[in-house]
Amino acid sequence: MPRPSSAAWTLRALAYTFFALAVFALAGPMPANAQEPTRLAVGTTADVVNLNPLVGNSRSDTWVTNLMYPRLMQMSANGQKEPYVATDWGYSDDGLTAWMELRDDMMWSDGEPFTADDVAFTITAVTEEAIGITAGLVGGSFERARAVSPTRVEFDLTQRDGQFLTNMGFWMPIVPEHVFPEVGQVSEFANDSDWVSAGPFVMTSVERGQRYVLEAVETYPFAPGGRAAVDEVVFRVFPDVNAQALALRAGDLDLIANAIPPAIARALSADPSITLVEIPALGWAHMQYNLERPPLDDLAVRQALAHAVDYEAIRRIALQGQAGSTLSSVISPVLSFWHDDTIEEYTYDPERARALLEEAGYTDADGDGFYDGITFGLLYDQAAAEIANWAQIVRDSSAEAGIEIELTGLERNTYLARARDRDHDIYAGSWSIMEEPAAYLDLAFRDGGFINYGNVSDPEIERLLDEAQAATSPEEALGPVQAIARRINEQVYDNVLYYQEFQFAYNSDRWEGFVPQPSDLLSLVNPLSLASVHPVD
Amino acid sequence: MRLLSYASRRLLRGFATFLFAVTITFFLVRLLPGDPMLAIAAPGMTEELLARQIADLGLDRSLIVQYVAYLRELAQGNLGISFLRGQPVSEVLMARLPWTLLLTGSALLVTIVLGVPLGVLAAVKARGAVDRLVQMVGVIGQSLFVPSIGIFLLYTLGLWLDLFPIGSAVDPDTHGVARALSILHHLALPCLTLVMAQLASYVLTLRATLIESLGEEYCDLARVKGASERRVVWQHALRNALLPTTTLVGLQIGFLVGGAVLTETIYAYPGVGRAIFEAVGQLDYPVLQGAFVLLAATVVLANLLTDLLYGLLDPRVRTA
Repeated sequence: MPRPSSAAWTLRALAYTFFALAVFALAGPMPANAQEPTRLAVGTTADVVNLNPLVGNSRSDTWVTNLMYPRLMQMSANGQKEPYVATDWGYSDDGLTAWMELRDDMMWSDGEPFTADDVAFTITAVTEEAIGITAGLVGGSFERARAVSPTRVEFDLTQRDGQFLTNMGFWMPIVPEHVFPEVGQVSEFANDSDWVSAGPFVMTSVERGQRYVLEAVETYPFAPGGRAAVDEVVFRVFPDVNAQALALRAGDLDLIANAIPPAIARALSADPSITLVEIPALGWAHMQYNLERPPLDDLAVRQALAHAVDYEAIRRIALQGQAGSTLSSVISPVLSFWHDDTIEEYTYDPERARALLEEAGYTDADGDGFYDGITFGLLYDQAAAEIANWAQIVRDSSAEAGIEIELTGLERNTYLARARDRDHDIYAGSWSIMEEPAAYLDLAFRDGGFINYGNVSDPEIERLLDEAQAATSPEEALGPVQAIARRINEQVYDNVLYYQEFQFAYNSDRWEGFVPQPSDLLSLVNPLSLASVHPVD
Repeated sequence: MRLLSYASRRLLRGFATFLFAVTITFFLVRLLPGDPMLAIAAPGMTEELLARQIADLGLDRSLIVQYVAYLRELAQGNLGISFLRGQPVSEVLMARLPWTLLLTGSALLVTIVLGVPLGVLAAVKARGAVDRLVQMVGVIGQSLFVPSIGIFLLYTLGLWLDLFPIGSAVDPDTHGVARALSILHHLALPCLTLVMAQLASYVLTLRATLIESLGEEYCDLARVKGASERRVVWQHALRNALLPTTTLVGLQIGFLVGGAVLTETIYAYPGVGRAIFEAVGQLDYPVLQGAFVLLAATVVLANLLTDLLYGLLDPRVRTA
């Protein structure tokens, strides 16, 4: 048996050897010298989950893959779809054929031309394999796609669907047919090496948990000089937002891709090298009342609930002023084409709420300060800081109106499961991007809709939705869309509290020329923006 | 022979512990609230498509059937496929494991290198100013929360004094010696965080046992025989006092692994702890389960080694 002292020495030697070996093993071999490129470091809070742009649907997935796989349309500041890779589009007179014209100067980074065949291939794969969100948005009416020339693609539809082109144009990234596997295997394609891009950058290396490196491609027709001004974009992953903000201040990051929480934004605003950019959300925060849970099926009760919310306090205190009113409409003023400014916001008026309840026959027989039977659970995600804050304001202001609100803040996955099962009285949440009204109103208010958390079933809304969806131009859809928003407001099917003004931060001592686009998905990290940004002269 | 029998018993116990850990974590992970399909399901996805995906992932089978299938695959070294990435879990985790081993291994090493002299100093100068200072700092260290230490160090040493980088494990485009130095540079703060969080346990344990040992008869005998106090402390008393500390190393491995989840998250360090943090949010059962299995195996193995070492250091243990 060895003596303890020699065992200890052996162990110590082994430990030091392990340490040295571990460091050098992770270090790797020495390569040839390379020149320092212009590099933009972008912070994200999460790793890319899936590099197949048709499958990956997290924020990080989208930010990174958007730089390689172009969408056909882009979004204007007011949420309208504008030409991008697609220069023009429309529908046949009967509405059963849709067409799209494409630019003729797009190339993949391996030298292959970007053509209508790539578009036809992508939509065929998406619909046949039912991949991701796009399949849900376009799959209902799509029948087949044909590349009738390198720059024109036509789509046969099974029914009139005025949202088909804009949904597909904005939500579906186009992938290269000559690189991806054949239809049937696309969803399983990991796309984790040998990337080919038709965007401003192409991925060159991935270090999961640390960084994703993309290099500028030589030609990108949308960049001011025909090529991105920076040589490299590096996405660095910082799961903790406080550490991420410190990295920006220390100069380890140049830009933070995710929206900055108000408290951190305040700290960053004191740093002269940091600029904060305000970008409106394309979604909104709201409460939906479960119509299958009496007495929430009673309009008077819903109206009383709507008048028992202190909207200004929510926007001023819980959101620290970084929010605007939608006028209690499910169409935010950010979507200026669709928004109806004649709708009136519910007023915070506890007395009126009490009067409504009393007129409807509710009483407080037990004298506890709350109307009998007017007690509701409010379901929310406790990790959503702003919502957790305003849920308390809702509870307190409702109590002023004699309405008892019991807060049910749950862990996110449990919250989602309860919402999916419609196991709630009042659902509190927020939507990130609601940019195509006829499409999202269908998901949220059609009987059986995927996110119809209020169990709304209203024949008038169904009729208007059919009308809006059959319209083949925005002008034609405007009337029914606004009528739906008005009816939702009048019937209090949904109580929209605000749309958020997100804040994004970058190092303005070093960089200028970002092109902001609405929503936290596009913000400053959209392809046009990163193709345009350049070092400060 | 005794040593062999002792080692076999410990090995068998280690395997049983590992199996227990695998079983518990398998069911715990699946008892997490929520439904992994929520992370996968898209608006407008049809019921049939959803059902097909659930079946593809094996989530339509009973828990027991899933468990037996999991054990069968595990026995063949297969940890499954990530729900969200479609990538083998072993690939996901093996890319992360070296970083966690480096972080926890170096934290353990630094803790022992610092903890032993500090413990000795506190014991030798018991009730003196140094001892009181060590005790005070020790108590504060034990009560600190890992993320608080992390943000404090990032702010002071990273941002304010600009001595260390913020985030990641290594700079890009560095190679050879420069890369090794970059790794050490990035390792410093997360390692220091874990050291600060656990150093006190070692120092205080060693201090207490060393004070006890120094009062034992064999130390008095050594003194009577003319041994210097330095020799009494380092050659006689410390050997015995180190035995409980060795046990502590085994116990603290579990803490280190837990601390690594938080530390890696704060420091954007790309280890297994981060993978756990991400997988919990996404309900990616296979990655979560695989990470637990890997960490359980590490802890069990470390404890096994500690036990064997203890057997070598103290012959009485082998017959216990």
